[in-house]
Amino acid sequence: MFSIHTRQVLARAALPVLILLAVALVLLGLVRRPVVDGVRLRATDILAPAYQALVYPQMRVQEWLVDLRGATDLAKENARLRDENRALRHWYDVAVALAAENGRLKNSLHWIPESAPQYVTGRVTRDDGGPYSRAVLLDVGSGHQVHTGDVALDSAGLLGRVTEIGPHTVRVLLINDDASRIPVTLAASRGDAIMAGDDTDTPRLIYYPQDHHPIEGERVETRGQSAMPAGLPIGTVHYLAPNRPVVMPDADLRRLDIVRVFDYGDDGGQAPDAPGRVKVRRPTAEPTLPGGLPFPRLPGLPESLGKGGQ
Amino acid sequence: MVAENSTPHLHSAVEPRQTLRRRLDILARAAMPSLFIVLVAVLLSAPFGIPGQPELQFGIAMCTVWFWAFSRPKSMPAWAVFLCGLSVELFSFGPPGAVLLSLLVIYGVAHHWRYGLSRLGFVSCWLIFSFFAALASFFQWALVCVHAFALLSPAPGLFQAALTIGIYPSLTALFVWGRRTFANPDQA
Repeated sequence: MFSIHTRQVLARAALPVLILLAVALVLLGLVRRPVVDGVRLRATDILAPAYQALVYPQMRVQEWLVDLRGATDLAKENARLRDENRALRHWYDVAVALAAENGRLKNSLHWIPESAPQYVTGRVTRDDGGPYSRAVLLDVGSGHQVHTGDVALDSAGLLGRVTEIGPHTVRVLLINDDASRIPVTLAASRGDAIMAGDDTDTPRLIYYPQDHHPIEGERVETRGQSAMPAGLPIGTVHYLAPNRPVVMPDADLRRLDIVRVFDYGDDGGQAPDAPGRVKVRRPTAEPTLPGGLPFPRLPGLPESLGKGGQ
Repeated sequence: MVAENSTPHLHSAVEPRQTLRRRLDILARAAMPSLFIVLVAVLLSAPFGIPGQPELQFGIAMCTVWFWAFSRPKSMPAWAVFLCGLSVELFSFGPPGAVLLSLLVIYGVAHHWRYGLSRLGFVSCWLIFSFFAALASFFQWALVCVHAFALLSPAPGLFQAALTIGIYPSLTALFVWGRRTFANPDQA
């Protein structure tokens, strides 16, 4: 088809052209990262069933191993479970009593009930971090109502927030990712802080009040800003070194399996417009009043209704 | 010498007939390195929970491209490297284009120096590869820093470079055997 000379020129030009294309991809990643991530999410969507099939034997073997380990000391395990059951029954009674009391108190305070959040449950399709980030992909099925910024929890505590959404899959940025910053409240000292991920298993606590250091072992909860409600359990404070408090997350960030994504709605925490800070727009034309009144405007009427005073 | 004519005894005057089956066999053997990279990229993106999965994805792709680019360039043309790089990019979530560019650069180096590299011993090849693997990891780290607008810890990049350099000998053993047997188009 081509002469030998043309083919040699084409062969020589191939690599520089391909390198230029690769550089173009790097630049596209810098300028339009969501486009590239969207394509990757689609690829994962297509491969999600294959991933389940690939991991299935490993899951079965792990289940067998757990069963086998349990079968070796059944008697001891039974005794431990009986003790635990007794303790749990006690805590169940306490919880029921507290729930009843809480309900009574809320009733007498005319407490406005919080709306129950919508949630979807999904299995982790794949760990999606790479060397520099911590994220997972969840298979939530088609027709889901997940939005960016929704909160992901496992059975123990907060995991992270949804950053990208595909047709079947959503990407959850974990709390220990370097890009994650979450406002938190310390349960015992009532101080506020920011929990910042640093790609290790234990996110750091920063910007806490300098006269009010976090206390070792106290609970860390979400503060309740933007789409995140207050009081979601995150973990406990631990000092790795003096003046270096970190959070030991309740959720097992290394081995994630079933994850729930909650939609708390993002306009729950919106403050109303502050009076005096809203610019009043003057009407462009004077409203003409019917009936041929002698004055153009009723004297007692505010200039613009529903906009707040000046 | 270069392994393109590594099995001259098979080039006899009497060539086997070019049946469809034989052609497919030759094609499959020639495509073996590229298929290996794509398969590894897909497998290592599954949630097995093995530590260092993404680093291995990068390391295996780098080792494979490097080895085949100088030892049998016909099994690893530039466009195949590009497609392999794209598939690795598709099944990883690092900074876009970093792996693809690293693979193409290491391919260019290995392909350009293929005569010299085939004359060199294994250890020298490994040392040169180590330098470029470290360079590629550094490039990836720099790109992540640019994306994050912050100076991140270089530890994951160092781990990735160390893993890439560390798995090279064992992969070379596999590839040397494969070049003689299952990935040798002359054996079809």
